[in-house]
Amino acid sequence: MKELAQVLKLTILEKRDVSLAIIFGVLAGLASVALLASSGYLISKAALTGQMTVLIVIGASLKLFGLGSAISRYAERLLSHRATFTMLGNLRVAFFEKLAPVAPEIYGKYRSGDLLARIIGDVESLQNFLLRVFYPPVVLLLVFTGTILFTLYFSVYTAILLALGYLLTAVAVPAYFAWRKRRKDWRIRESRGALSAEAAEFLYGFRELKIYQQLSGKEQLLAQLIDSYHEEQRNEGEEEVYSQSINGLFALLVSLAILAVGAYSTAAGDLNGLYLAMLVMISLGVFENISPMAAFPGHFEESRKAAVRLESIVDETPRKKKMAELPPGPLSVSARNLSYVFPGEQRPALKNITIDFPAGSRTAVVGPSGSGKSTLLALLMDVLPAHGGHVLYNGRTSEDFSQESIWRGLNAVLQENHFFYGTLRSNLHIADSSADDGEMIAALNKVELGGFSLDMEVEEKGQNLSGGERQRLAIARAILKGSALWLLDEPVSSVDSATGRIIYERLFEDNRGDTFIIISHDLAGLEKMDQIIVMDHGEVIESGSYGELMERKGYFHGLKEIEQQVMA
Amino acid sequence: MKDLKGLAFEQKKQIGLLIAMSVLKGASTIGQAVFFVLVVDGVFIKGRSFEEILPFLYALLISIIIRSLSSYIIGRTGVEMAAVVKKQMRMKLIRSFAEDPLLSSAESHSGRKVSLLMDAVDETDGFFSKYIPQLIQSYIIPLMLLVVVFSQNWTTGLIILVTAPFIPVFMAIVGKRTKEKADEKMEQLNRFSGTFLDILQGLTTLRLFGQSKKQKEKIEESSKNFRDSTIDVLKSAFLSSLTLEYISMLSIGIIALEVGLRLVVFDNLSFFSAFFIMILVPDFFTMLKDFGSAFHTARGSVAASQLLHEELAKERKPVAWGEMELPESMPPHIRFEKVCFSYNDEFRLSDISLDIKPYSKIAIIGKSGSGKTTLMHILAGLLPVSEGDILIDGKRRNDISETGWFNQLSYISQSPYLFAGSIKENIAIGTNREPTQEEIAEAAEKAGVTELIDSLPQGYGTLVGEGGRGLSGGEKQRIALARAFLKKPNVILFDEPTTGLDLHTEMILQQSLAELSKKATVITVAHRLHTVRASDNIVFLQNGKVVACGTHEELAGEFGPYEELLPLQQGGAMR
Repeated sequence: MKELAQVLKLTILEKRDVSLAIIFGVLAGLASVALLASSGYLISKAALTGQMTVLIVIGASLKLFGLGSAISRYAERLLSHRATFTMLGNLRVAFFEKLAPVAPEIYGKYRSGDLLARIIGDVESLQNFLLRVFYPPVVLLLVFTGTILFTLYFSVYTAILLALGYLLTAVAVPAYFAWRKRRKDWRIRESRGALSAEAAEFLYGFRELKIYQQLSGKEQLLAQLIDSYHEEQRNEGEEEVYSQSINGLFALLVSLAILAVGAYSTAAGDLNGLYLAMLVMISLGVFENISPMAAFPGHFEESRKAAVRLESIVDETPRKKKMAELPPGPLSVSARNLSYVFPGEQRPALKNITIDFPAGSRTAVVGPSGSGKSTLLALLMDVLPAHGGHVLYNGRTSEDFSQESIWRGLNAVLQENHFFYGTLRSNLHIADSSADDGEMIAALNKVELGGFSLDMEVEEKGQNLSGGERQRLAIARAILKGSALWLLDEPVSSVDSATGRIIYERLFEDNRGDTFIIISHDLAGLEKMDQIIVMDHGEVIESGSYGELMERKGYFHGLKEIEQQVMA
Repeated sequence: MKDLKGLAFEQKKQIGLLIAMSVLKGASTIGQAVFFVLVVDGVFIKGRSFEEILPFLYALLISIIIRSLSSYIIGRTGVEMAAVVKKQMRMKLIRSFAEDPLLSSAESHSGRKVSLLMDAVDETDGFFSKYIPQLIQSYIIPLMLLVVVFSQNWTTGLIILVTAPFIPVFMAIVGKRTKEKADEKMEQLNRFSGTFLDILQGLTTLRLFGQSKKQKEKIEESSKNFRDSTIDVLKSAFLSSLTLEYISMLSIGIIALEVGLRLVVFDNLSFFSAFFIMILVPDFFTMLKDFGSAFHTARGSVAASQLLHEELAKERKPVAWGEMELPESMPPHIRFEKVCFSYNDEFRLSDISLDIKPYSKIAIIGKSGSGKTTLMHILAGLLPVSEGDILIDGKRRNDISETGWFNQLSYISQSPYLFAGSIKENIAIGTNREPTQEEIAEAAEKAGVTELIDSLPQGYGTLVGEGGRGLSGGEKQRIALARAFLKKPNVILFDEPTTGLDLHTEMILQQSLAELSKKATVITVAHRLHTVRASDNIVFLQNGKVVACGTHEELAGEFGPYEELLPLQQGGAMR
């Protein structure tokens, strides 16, 4: 239960809604019990007397309790849902506050898009916590307590049996099934995972499977996995039905016991027979409230797991760093014996890299995909921590500076740049919230997007923009930010080469004296760079100016030779 | 909803069981009420001793057990039915995917298909496991209860007959209004709930621009707006439950009044009947309300089933094959005669005629979007021909055996797929035989991956693909090359890399293709001048048509568009 402590804390923050929801829930439960109790009592009474008043009381009380129960139920639902959604909001904020400080590092480390989908899904699934995990047992406890206190007046045995019934149906059985679920739950997830992985292979690897004639084998394997997944699903479903039936059976058995004891007492003259029907109706009525407990084990386990996963993501504490401010003006950047290994990999992504990027210089980094270029950039900009070696800014180690001050000092264009739902203007404001329309339009002009209106709508992730437009917009953002260190990761790979050339020329022209580190997707135009770094397998295999590298007739020269051969 | 219902009612055995168990449950519900009442009636009205009513208690116990057991079996049957139907749907989907020739091409939308197979199918679960059992119970049990009530007191039965229909009517009215409201707010709701994801996805960007602090308020605000809009929608849904509950309460109230009148004023109803009715009537209305909530569950399944239905309704045109075997000793002679390929009524390739002699080297060139990859897929036998014929050694390809054809073929694409498994398994997939370690090592050596494999602690056993270690694009291509060396194909389809930043892979590819081509016909989507120059025949594609065909020398002087494609010998400014 301690895994859910944080969620519980956030839920209880909504004191007013939660307590009101509980009050109305209890009222609704008690009213429905009272309704049945009164009908039982009044029928018994009516059987004995012939008074009209009895009849009037029947009608009045039934209406009163019925209406009371229905209205309380309505208020309860509204308030508990309100509290739940408020709690979800609090949870999002609390999670965001923990995630933000460690975000770029976590994102860089687990290069996986489903991390985010998982976070969102987990937060959403916690909406069941209040509604189906925390709240039903509490309401049930109060409804039973009220009912038990009432019956105590008539029959101690009934009260004891009801208490026993509560312990059985609202505590013991749900707890037992929650425990069983926890033990078995991994199996269904495992078989689902296996099926989903094989299905992905089947679909993504279809061409290879077809050509290598492995399709029918794969289909058979899929059929087996479907079988075993459905077997697990069936087990899970049956378990739920089982828990529900056991709970229902126990509830009825307790009512039976109450009837038996009541009948015995009545026959023995210890209990006035007038109350017997009422007690039976009370028992049947109060156990009608336990039906939400059938779903408890499933929701409890789901909430618990969601909470654990969310906790584990934000478990990382931000790196301890000194808080010095980066000096303004062009920076020199140096890598000293940098290395980095992604979690779960054995082969290092970067090995022992030492390079200097002097202040005001322009460097291009080239190399095959997977050679470590982007990882190098992430280390240079302090998004990922070096596993060995240091990054130096103006000769001082990056450990001395706060991440905020480092990021303030650089203009980054990454391979994936995020654009938010909103307008072009709101997306540019992220770079410089004080920029006016004129400055923004100027920046757009520099990236050849002058035709775009600042009011243009931008969809989630900039889906309505082409890849090249997104890249140019990212450069415009960097221009607006106006720092003196540029780190660009294949910034124009989706832009046509003529436009790309113009954009580069403007960048270099407008920002003379700034330091540029550019990962390039091709070799054209590298003559203008002060330094070219060639990477392969996480290592720098060559560096020097264009002329030097061509003269050396090494790797770069070889690449250039191929380029001569590449057709449009 | 009709489709799903049809699927459910195909399960005759399960449906039969559901009906039988519903009848049993109804009977035991009635029995339970009877014996409850008999016990109370016995000791309270008739003044019997405990021993005298003891048999009723036993009978009650049995009724309770039967009732629990029958509802357990109903639940189980629902689960079972859901499992069976879902399995059928998944198998059907996989069959339909396997017959979809486009699956090997870019239009395949594989991610969407995986989610269809996994999530959409699971979303239909509630329909079978909850809604159908509830539906059958709702047809049977209330009816049984009604008959019993009529037998005890026909006026009560009449009151139920008048009031009960209000429940489905109101349910429909309010349900419709709720849906309208939900649709109206849909966009707004999606927007608010999307904000959190949007901010999380953009967190790196926000941090780099020093803007993350402001986002807290944005999340707060959108969460609040989301809550208020949702509550708005929920209000009308809750109002519907309120109405339903009120109607049933009102009916129970009226019935109680009527029963009371007869009991007190007219004195023509026994305590037994009155109590009996008062126990049965709430059960009756609970049954109807349960059906209402099951109906909501079913609605969630309908959208998913719609998606599945659309997917399964798609027309598949798999490639047709015959029985004829090909000689494996030498490459076949491949001829295209006026081959066309269209998809969704749009011509991707038209009127392609080719003559590919054994051991020849063919280069396919053209701008992106000109149909090069489509042509390769048709050559490979992955896409069907809409018009025209492909002749293999003079026989129509539709007549030769699929196994025989694919046994001769290797396809080295720009992004070969690595399966989850070891490097060894990924190379061994190249052949149908069980290759020896030596054969695999030899293939790996020729494909230039030995160095990579040796650098890994687990060597050939290193896990790659999904869940395994990541390999770079060049390394993947070399694994695909090793597959080809193991297979020793007669026809090789090769997609040359567009970018040339991986010198090692580039060199290996060149050498390997030269070696493989000694024993095979090689058809290349070419991006390198030397490849094109060395080809026996260059096929120039434009908008899905062959616009020129010939050797480099033949095309170079005469065909303008070809010259445009040739590499510029100077690099411009930095691109």
